[in-house]
Amino acid sequence: MYAGPVQDLIDELGRLPGVGPKSAQRIAFHLLKLPKEEAVRLARAVIEMKERVALCARCFNVAEGQECGICTDPRREHRVLCVVEEPRDVVAVEKTHEFRGRYHVLQGAISPIEGIGPDQLKVRELLARLEPEQISEVILCTNPNIEGEATAMYLARLLAPLGLRVTRIASGLPVGGDLEYADELTLGRALEGRREVGA
Amino acid sequence: MRLRHLWLVDFRNFPSVELEPAPGLTALVGANGEGKTNLLEAVAYLATLSSFRGAPGEALVRAGADRAVVRAELDPQGEGRGSTALVEAELHPAGRDRVLVNRQPLRRASDLAGTARVSVFSPDDLALVKGGPVHRRRLVDDLLVASSPRLAAVQADLERVLRQRGTLLRQAGGRLGADVATTLDVWDAKMSELGDALGQARASLVDQLEPLVAKVYDQVAATAAHVALTYHAPWRVGGLAHALAAARTEDLRRGVTTVGPHRDDVAFAIAGLAARTHASQGEQRSLALALRLGGHQLVAEASGTPPMLLLDDVFSELDADRSAALLVHLPMAQAVLTTTGPVPGALAPELVVRVRDGRLEPG
Ligand SMILES: [Zn+2]
Repeated sequence: MYAGPVQDLIDELGRLPGVGPKSAQRIAFHLLKLPKEEAVRLARAVIEMKERVALCARCFNVAEGQECGICTDPRREHRVLCVVEEPRDVVAVEKTHEFRGRYHVLQGAISPIEGIGPDQLKVRELLARLEPEQISEVILCTNPNIEGEATAMYLARLLAPLGLRVTRIASGLPVGGDLEYADELTLGRALEGRREVGA
Repeated sequence: MRLRHLWLVDFRNFPSVELEPAPGLTALVGANGEGKTNLLEAVAYLATLSSFRGAPGEALVRAGADRAVVRAELDPQGEGRGSTALVEAELHPAGRDRVLVNRQPLRRASDLAGTARVSVFSPDDLALVKGGPVHRRRLVDDLLVASSPRLAAVQADLERVLRQRGTLLRQAGGRLGADVATTLDVWDAKMSELGDALGQARASLVDQLEPLVAKVYDQVAATAAHVALTYHAPWRVGGLAHALAAARTEDLRRGVTTVGPHRDDVAFAIAGLAARTHASQGEQRSLALALRLGGHQLVAEASGTPPMLLLDDVFSELDADRSAALLVHLPMAQAVLTTTGPVPGALAPELVVRVRDGRLEPG
């Protein structure tokens, strides 16, 4: 344990994903040694982001205004939805240039281990979009790992009775991986080769 | 695989040694505690990036040293076939090992499978016969991955689904609400798909393994004992989906998954009698060895190249006749064994090395 403010910072850093207690300590002491301007610049960047960027009210992608750039772009096809886990997956799919519709970001995947069930995801919000936006196809583009597959299967069963086209990106992506690590070509092909899923 | 040259720096009790094992059999001779097994452990480490004794990484670094290095020059395809590979592992007590293959960083441990492969027998393998089902499942699953590497993903996914399903069952606290039921349905569907695939693979592996084990057993024990292997997976009768549905109430009540491949077992019989309960200590030891050597042969046939054979303290497990018979019938492969006494029987190893207090001397 260290003196008040240092320990507070270590505790805060330790709450970040992928940062263990040892790394938290290392980062804290690195910041302590930094010239004041540099540390302040980091703190400002965090505040700036939190003040100016929020989640899109429609699709839960990151957005600088009420809605994100994709939702407000009139050239995007509005009847096809690509469902992804995280905003970073939107970036990965965008890079392929294979998709001209809009997105729905679930903010995670079903994972009891992490305490995430359907209620913790933006599933109800997805269902609420279908009618008003006259969605005709939902592409399930969750990660090709166990949690992503389970989430896709859950959504496929939920959407099946609603009479719209539900597709899943083709296999061929590195198994157990994340979309963000798949190269554009592979992910593009997986989107193109998507298949209708039953319940 | 054929190991040509091995270098160790600060690995276990070895400050710095090198070894050029024979193409055939090499014997490491020395008293207990001198480091014979450590040397086998180092070779096996290059293949699996873990200790076959289950030791944590920091135990492999010599006391006081800041890192250990295991370096090997080997022919992945076997003697004189294909090109030679240089595998270098740097072990740090605080974790974060670094592995280079031909001076290129290794991305995943499983990428080593095509380069360095070993079959290990140790006295602890008696647990295959006398221990719980987990030992036999691990034997079968390790052989599955060694003979068809794509099954590693199925195993890993299944383990993950089991953890997710188990957590969900515990979170449900015995109640089956609509939301729990729908998510449970999803995990059950995933688990069935993976479990049926794994069950099928295990069943056919046990079928292939049985005659190989029976043959080695008969050779070592100089009998015709009819060793039989029977795969037990009761859920396979109607498929896993059916078994999970039938067990759902019980699973919810107990908060665990009560049926599935994670409960499978393999039963061994010698001349019709259960080996676990009815075989003598000597028969059980011979069977444990036969399981490892039979598995070695299975992997050699599936992959086209025999793994390197590492036999730890194997003669302490067998009487003089069986020891001599083992050496005569040793499978075609490069092999390194450890022994406290002289090598029994008429067959002399190609190379004998004496291990004394972390040093190697010509034997
Ligand atoms: Zn949006």
